[in-house]
Amino acid sequence: MASVKLEGITKRYEDVTAVDDMNLEIRDGEFVTFVGPSGCGKSTTMETIAGLTLPTEGTIEIGGRDVTDLPPKDRGISMVFQNIALFPHMDVYDNISFGLRLRKYDQEEVDRRVAEAADIVQLEGMMDRMPKEMSGGQRQRVAIARAIVRNPGAFLMDEPLANLDAELRVHMRTQLQRLHRELDTTIIYVTHDQAQAMTMSDRIAVINGGVLQQVAPPLECYNEPKNLFVAGFIGSPAMNFIEGQVIDGGFESEYTQIDFDPETHGVTPGQEITVGVRPEDVFLEEDARKASSPTKAFDAVVDVLEPMGKEMNAYLLFDRDVEASAEGRGEGQLLINLTPDTEIQEGDDVRIVMDRENVHLFDRASGDAITHSLE
Amino acid sequence: MTDPARETGDVDAADGVSADGGVADAETVDPTADEPELDRGLIEAWAAKMITNPDRAYRASFYVATIFFLVTTLFPFYWLFVVAMTPRNNLSDVGLLLPAGFNPAAFIEIFTTLPFHRYVFNSFLIATIATVAVLLVGSLAGYVFGRLRFRGRNVMLLLVLVTSFFPPAAFFIPLNRLFNTNIDVLRPLISAGSLYNTPYAIFIPLSAIFLPLSIFILMTFYSQIPDGLEDAARVEGTTRIGALFRVIVPLSAPGVATAGVLTFISVYNEYFFSSLMTDGRPGSWAPMLEGILRFQGEFAVQYNLMAAASIVAVLPVAILVVVAQEKIVSGLTTGAVKE
Repeated sequence: MASVKLEGITKRYEDVTAVDDMNLEIRDGEFVTFVGPSGCGKSTTMETIAGLTLPTEGTIEIGGRDVTDLPPKDRGISMVFQNIALFPHMDVYDNISFGLRLRKYDQEEVDRRVAEAADIVQLEGMMDRMPKEMSGGQRQRVAIARAIVRNPGAFLMDEPLANLDAELRVHMRTQLQRLHRELDTTIIYVTHDQAQAMTMSDRIAVINGGVLQQVAPPLECYNEPKNLFVAGFIGSPAMNFIEGQVIDGGFESEYTQIDFDPETHGVTPGQEITVGVRPEDVFLEEDARKASSPTKAFDAVVDVLEPMGKEMNAYLLFDRDVEASAEGRGEGQLLINLTPDTEIQEGDDVRIVMDRENVHLFDRASGDAITHSLE
Repeated sequence: MTDPARETGDVDAADGVSADGGVADAETVDPTADEPELDRGLIEAWAAKMITNPDRAYRASFYVATIFFLVTTLFPFYWLFVVAMTPRNNLSDVGLLLPAGFNPAAFIEIFTTLPFHRYVFNSFLIATIATVAVLLVGSLAGYVFGRLRFRGRNVMLLLVLVTSFFPPAAFFIPLNRLFNTNIDVLRPLISAGSLYNTPYAIFIPLSAIFLPLSIFILMTFYSQIPDGLEDAARVEGTTRIGALFRVIVPLSAPGVATAGVLTFISVYNEYFFSSLMTDGRPGSWAPMLEGILRFQGEFAVQYNLMAAASIVAVLPVAILVVVAQEKIVSGLTTGAVKE
């Protein structure tokens, strides 16, 4: 068990900066997830922690020891890979015991540890199977057993569930959480799937373009995103954004107007801002009592309804003339969550309100959050 | 349909097949055959059958080609055997298929008149050392060229491959002079202080000449092993070289076997350097080839002993190929197409 500390980690390839001045402290026993879109530098960051890639600048400490120049094998970490990476020419026992045998543990110790690890991931009785004879989930469990058998200071997991089918992925997700509770080891987890990040982590590190955007517990990232990127990336379906500017006494965009006092929220009239509001914080006018502090109502038209069973997503247009964008939610479009029994048809005119308590303001120039509530 | 007329008809049909075999047939068949089907000679009937059932034609041509290939490759060995079995005095009467006499003692004589086993051993040892050296160096180079990205990689690879384009004879004179030079540093290792008449004089140049091909084969194989496996090995506790020999090499076994066998056979069979880098005495590490040539004296050429020696010399390679055959076949084919 060990803490991990990144200080000013930068990784530059010839003309690309994959990771830019990353500073991060991961406490002993913490489950931290690196999340971000593909190519954002999260895997590169993990590879520098593992020692598979050397950083251009910066230092890495694991368990208080500077490991920046140590090879991977001497860093006291283990890793689970996206493509699972079991050695195809070795059976399960040889795969799991590979690291122990390299470190010349005596045979009894190896047997004991392998049995223990196999027990944790429920692989008893499969010791002499070859990887190609196993299912995806079983291979994944072998890979995890191989990682825990050495009792490392930290586990690094690089999209370990990406190659599994949807059902197995959800199952393995809870397995991993249970594993973390049992072993109480530091886990650094990389994924592009914000749902995995939200459900498993103690803290999420949101990365974009090689830059750390926000490091916070999942709910904090969800409720108080530090900038537009985090707000848009965390949460599914994603937050609605309305671009406009500050006026005297509130915010105005092409279709909406929200009243608030600019001064108390630290904005000045004329400033270009973006309002962010999550689908579950927008209500039909008749349900306005569900909002703790409703704004005044706007007109909208129902474009598409998506009944999901326990809820219903409604895509609204602020105006009948708005062209629904083919690429994601465009300007003038709004997604809201409704209860599934709401009496509503596609093409209906509706009036909607937002919950002022959960309206986020972002400075458009910098993307930084200004406030997370208009109360 | 068993009358002799059929036979003549066949011959005619075969002779005039392109002109008009049908007419030739019509003249020779008996009058009872009104049906045009029955007019046909054996070859024509056979051709018609082939057209309606092309699989038979393909199978037939496969067997013809295979038998032709087997005869052309294996017959020389059989004839070597025929010559070896022929007693020395009957050599002028040696037949094509059967030996003129029976003298299996030739296979013993080659070891008694000369220490031929020592020559074979020399060759075997030189080829083994060369194979091990080529695989070792070739693995390291193949790893670098196949798995690492660095500036100048293609230029360096080209330079390595270019060395194999030169005719080996071009290196001979400088190497021969170099190996005949007494180098004081070598004196404690080699009695004379020069490499001439040592196994090194053969295996060093031959390893160097056959190395580029092995590098190329191994490079292709090593580049196909997923990065994740090497990363996994390194995190689990190996160095890069450890990962190469514990994970990448075992997974590339067909490629390693192919490179190894090709090198072994090439070095074992090599003529030019093998015949010139030693004085030809078994104690001077002269290879198998010199042994065979020794049966050719000033006044007589003992063809039967040369033939027997040749067969014995082929055996180690034949055994090696049979043992490694499965791997080599998959190595030669998978290397080309595997993604």
